[in-house]
Amino acid sequence: MKNQLKVLRAMRNWSQADLGEHLDVSRQAVNAIETGKYDPSLPLAFKISRLFDLPIEEIFDDEYSGERDG
Amino acid sequence: MTNTQESAMGDADQKMGGNIARNLWMMLSGVGIIMLLGVITGFLSQHNAQGGGTLDLAGVAVLGAVAAAILILAFVIWKLFQQGKQSGEKVPRREKVYNRFLVGSFLFGGATGLALALTGSFDAHETSLMSNAAMSPVLAIILSIAIGVILPAITLYWHRHAVDEQEEAAYRFGALIAIYAFWFIAPVWWLLWRGGILPEVNGVTLYFITMFVALVVWFWKKYR
Repeated sequence: MKNQLKVLRAMRNWSQADLGEHLDVSRQAVNAIETGKYDPSLPLAFKISRLFDLPIEEIFDDEYSGERDG
Repeated sequence: MTNTQESAMGDADQKMGGNIARNLWMMLSGVGIIMLLGVITGFLSQHNAQGGGTLDLAGVAVLGAVAAAILILAFVIWKLFQQGKQSGEKVPRREKVYNRFLVGSFLFGGATGLALALTGSFDAHETSLMSNAAMSPVLAIILSIAIGVILPAITLYWHRHAVDEQEEAAYRFGALIAIYAFWFIAPVWWLLWRGGILPEVNGVTLYFITMFVALVVWFWKKYR
């Protein structure tokens, strides 16, 4: 899944290790999420959302373009 | 995003690639050491099986060459570890636990194997992984406790404290592909045995094939 993690991390001048420390994951995990090779679990996505103080949908893009239900 | 930020980000990514390559070489060197320890174990077991006694010059030369290769690989690991420390890159807490655990396992496994080999406790046939030869009850009990009690406890700790969710997913996918490999390979082998084309199905070989598939898929999912 496309995401803004790399940009948000760079805006804080964090390395992948720094972000991994904040999220309690390895550098491989941060790299895999940034490159879209791994989609984080919902709890980790919420953790990322709280860390950057942004809603999940502003960080992750599921490329859904249709009308929203309700 | 500013150019400075983009540059810093690029540097971090290059470091990341360097770290992965460094970790891979350290792991491969560790595996190499274990295999070479296995060579020493096999060599000494064979020597003891043939009556033991003092090693001849050729035997000393072989052991010396293998020991030198082990020292070289240990030096490579130490140098790469130092490089990692000097790069100044912070290592996340979970990764530190992971690395310490891995090094500890290599050291413990290597030391145990070497101790068994040097004391000449068991002969080459009974300790061989792929052998169905009879085994002494003592060795059977030691190995059963190691694999059936100690290993599951270590695995539980490993999954709870060292592995993060990305690697956990890699393990799950590896396990899925491995069980499919087992489901397909076992009956095909059995049918070909019934047709007289292959030798009888060997459970230990199937076990190692399943483990190998799981490891290869895990490795690919974690580091690709």
